[in-house]
Amino acid sequence: MSSAMGTRQKVGRRLINSAAVLGLVYLFAPIAVIVLFSFNRPKGKFNIVWQGFTLDNWAHPFSEPEFTDALLVSLRVAGLATICATILGTLIALALSRYRFKGSGAVNLFLVLPLTSPEIVLGSSLATLFLARGVERGFLTVVIAHIMFQVSFVAVTLRARIRGFDWTLEQAAMDLGATPQRAFWKVTFPLILPGILAAALLSFALSIDDFIITFFNAGSLVTFPLQVFGASRVAIPPQLNVLASMLLFGSIAIMVGGLIIESRKQRLAHGKKLARR
Amino acid sequence: MTHAQTRFTSRPEWVGLGVMVVLAVGVVSLGAGWVTGITRIIALAVMLVSVVGLVWTAFVGGLETRRALAPYGLLKPGILWLSLFFLAPLWSMLQMSLSSKKSRFDFSPSFTWEFGNYATALTDFGPQFSRSFGYAAIATILTLLIGYPLAYVIAFRGGKYRTILLGLVAVPFFTSYLIRTLAWQNLLADSGPVVSLLNTLRLEGVLEFLHIMDNGRLVNTPAAVIGGLTYNFLPFMILPLYVSLEKIDIRLVDAAMDLYTTASGAFRRVVLPLSLPGVFAGSLLVFIPAAGDFVNAQFLGSPSTTMVGNSIQNQFLRELNYPLASAMSFVLMTVITASVLVYAKFMGTDDLV
Amino acid sequence: MAMKKRITSQGTPVSRREFLIKSGIVGAGALSLPALLAACGGGDGGDGGNGGDSKSLMFENWPLYIDEETVAAFTAATGINLKYTEAYNDNNEYFAKVQPSLSAGKNIEPDIVAPTFWMAARWIQLGWAQKINMANIPNSKNLRDDLANPSWDANNEYQMPWQTGIAGIAYNIKTTGRELKSVADIFDPAFKGKIGMLTEMRDTLGLVLMGEGKKLSDITTYDDAVIGFDKIEKAKSDGQIRAFTGNDYTDDLSSGNFAACVAWSGDVLQLSKDNPDVRFYVPEEGGTSWYDTMLWVAGSENGTSVEKWLDYVYDPANAARITASVQYISPVKGVQDELVKLGGDAAKLAEDQLLFPDSSTIARLQSWGALSEDEEAKFDERFAAITGA
Repeated sequence: MSSAMGTRQKVGRRLINSAAVLGLVYLFAPIAVIVLFSFNRPKGKFNIVWQGFTLDNWAHPFSEPEFTDALLVSLRVAGLATICATILGTLIALALSRYRFKGSGAVNLFLVLPLTSPEIVLGSSLATLFLARGVERGFLTVVIAHIMFQVSFVAVTLRARIRGFDWTLEQAAMDLGATPQRAFWKVTFPLILPGILAAALLSFALSIDDFIITFFNAGSLVTFPLQVFGASRVAIPPQLNVLASMLLFGSIAIMVGGLIIESRKQRLAHGKKLARR
Repeated sequence: MTHAQTRFTSRPEWVGLGVMVVLAVGVVSLGAGWVTGITRIIALAVMLVSVVGLVWTAFVGGLETRRALAPYGLLKPGILWLSLFFLAPLWSMLQMSLSSKKSRFDFSPSFTWEFGNYATALTDFGPQFSRSFGYAAIATILTLLIGYPLAYVIAFRGGKYRTILLGLVAVPFFTSYLIRTLAWQNLLADSGPVVSLLNTLRLEGVLEFLHIMDNGRLVNTPAAVIGGLTYNFLPFMILPLYVSLEKIDIRLVDAAMDLYTTASGAFRRVVLPLSLPGVFAGSLLVFIPAAGDFVNAQFLGSPSTTMVGNSIQNQFLRELNYPLASAMSFVLMTVITASVLVYAKFMGTDDLV
Repeated sequence: MAMKKRITSQGTPVSRREFLIKSGIVGAGALSLPALLAACGGGDGGDGGNGGDSKSLMFENWPLYIDEETVAAFTAATGINLKYTEAYNDNNEYFAKVQPSLSAGKNIEPDIVAPTFWMAARWIQLGWAQKINMANIPNSKNLRDDLANPSWDANNEYQMPWQTGIAGIAYNIKTTGRELKSVADIFDPAFKGKIGMLTEMRDTLGLVLMGEGKKLSDITTYDDAVIGFDKIEKAKSDGQIRAFTGNDYTDDLSSGNFAACVAWSGDVLQLSKDNPDVRFYVPEEGGTSWYDTMLWVAGSENGTSVEKWLDYVYDPANAARITASVQYISPVKGVQDELVKLGGDAAKLAEDQLLFPDSSTIARLQSWGALSEDEEAKFDERFAAITGA
């Protein structure tokens, strides 16, 4: 009987494993296409049919100024918005996880609402506000819009991360003679910094890629996704695939770097622990 | 002196909460235009007074007071930002949805309690609404079917590769959303690999029957749109599923295996129910943005697959019919928020991350 | 100041200074934001006036609508710094983008834009275009006679056409298997699911109406046009139409995704050089002629530079160079001879039917008159409903 169970289990296992692998393949199929077609030499205006292999596009990735300019605009918007949102969001996360106060439940709920509203509602309502108040849509409004959803995102992710934080560490520091500020900056802050950075990085990525909310609030500003959208109705040069692949490889590199640093830190900490024994 | 002060400030948290609410309301009212002219000055004055009051309370109150007020201080900037740029716009949108334009290029519609906008939204765009919710629902189910095995394997069989695997799941989504959707145009193109494969396998007949293919093409069909939605929102299902699966103590599964003797029984009766919070969180995180999306319909769809998002975008940015667009947004928002609140009631918002 | 550290039962104490700094300043900062916003609103934001002609110019045009040399050549010839951008993707979308500013009397960045003629009519009517001093533009006499003095700019004071074109039907002969000649051909059930139509309402609807035997100049109300709308709607629900496109039909046509589609002459001309299977024709029942025209945007103060630019592009030699690249029909007289002078491929273009149509083709071309605001609204609404928006 046990062997019969064994086979059924093995089959089940194999099925689930293959389903998972298929899932990963599914996830990466379009990515493969994007990278592959960055090497294409398209005949027409769009990069849909494979014509031939060429390295030209990678040799001249910035030859389409509208896309490069748009990418720079996106980076500027994302940079500014992420800094502001990280500050605001971290303050909220600290308040929520460190203190217990009246209204925390409502705040929690309030924070989640922007994340769970469809982007089109967020975008069009913000645009309506700007229209009604006569604010011209452009760089400022886009940054404002991005900060809005990024604050929620940073606060929610960070709060989850620092929930288990041991606040008595600060107390211990103060026992040893530190002022509350010193205790915060020297003890708490470095420990929650990785969480802050991770949340900031993720919201930076969200900002660069944001389309719908930006679409409604950009006025004449052109960010990278907006440029892609406009171009999709006219002509898509292969340089677009090159830029996208660059972004992709860049993010992978950052992620791998982060993982390596974290594993090295863990190894060091582990080593120190062993040494102390 | 101390006694009187303590009594004054005996409930510091109410002061903190009260001031925060006053400021938030003030900010929203300024942003949403509830107050104009002289009332605007009055509102600003009220807000200033409350801030001064708060600071004074903190100043003269004891350490306890300040401790109680500290969280409100930390929260204020963020909450005020959200109030101004999330709540006030919603109010503006509500107001706009009940307005009407005097002429076609009337740039500032006037508030006229025009409920007709909602009537138009529901009657003229009924098909778009039902299509949006329908496509989003199907996409949610598909993400569940595709994402669950993946999340399961990572959580239970990942071991030390878990972070890497999760990273792998996240990596595709560091390319632009639009470019990913365009890549599906490539993949599903008439001359592309998928259609060629289906043709060699002679599956077109079956797929045409199931209305997945239409006239020998895969793109510009509802199936393509749903496929795009599924793909683009897959990580929003995988990550919450992983989080809740990972929390499950493996010993429970072992115990279940001992009790039920089959893996599937153990799964059905132990793992699945324990992973339900993740399933619910993931479903909402997929359904909500999918219902309001228009990019997938734009790139992968046809004139008969347009969703509410396309219509709102069109009304807002081309027809310039802000009142109608706002009414439609509001209907969408209401239906979705209702589901979110119901979910939040039963599950608690903590589980969303 | 020495701080007394008291450890309360609730954990870390909050110093007076710390709290003040946190709440007070931050609160004040948060308060100033609405004031900032309010100031933003009423004031005169936007990229304000250029303070007298500044020897620089910005021209916002459609994509892929100019050759590679003209901008630099213009700057070299006149010393005026020309910023040429191609963000004008769609008439209605651009209108929506600039309406908030222009309606409020604020300036937008471009000095020149090139909307399609019916949109230009709207801009002029809304007061968003300034009168150009044609006396300062000697080359304005080179404007083709058939384009002068349209009903909505009777004295030719506000606009000068940039390029003109024809909307007709393009088809891929490999996919259709036969030659197509009339509007009725695109409704042939044999091509079910392989037909494309333009989101540009006047071109799509115009062709269909002409296919029904109507004259475009007779169409003034929605009821006149309803027969065309109904026909398009039926085609859509029958599954005849695969998609409504902007400029993005070219690849679909090339690959055979579309058997035929409503198309613009210039695009197809460029396409057919690479793919001889792609053909273009003006249907027997008629084709629409359209043009995109340059306006001097209200609020711009670079009048002299604008005049120099207009003068420059209306020089037949320069116009010919542009035509050789974009392959649309030039509004400038004398371009045909200039093309011959350029020799090579450009000279071949001089003989192309699509660029210089013969009289029988010209006779088949019709153009829309102006529609009143209310009627146009009804048209747009019905068309939007059909295209599924």
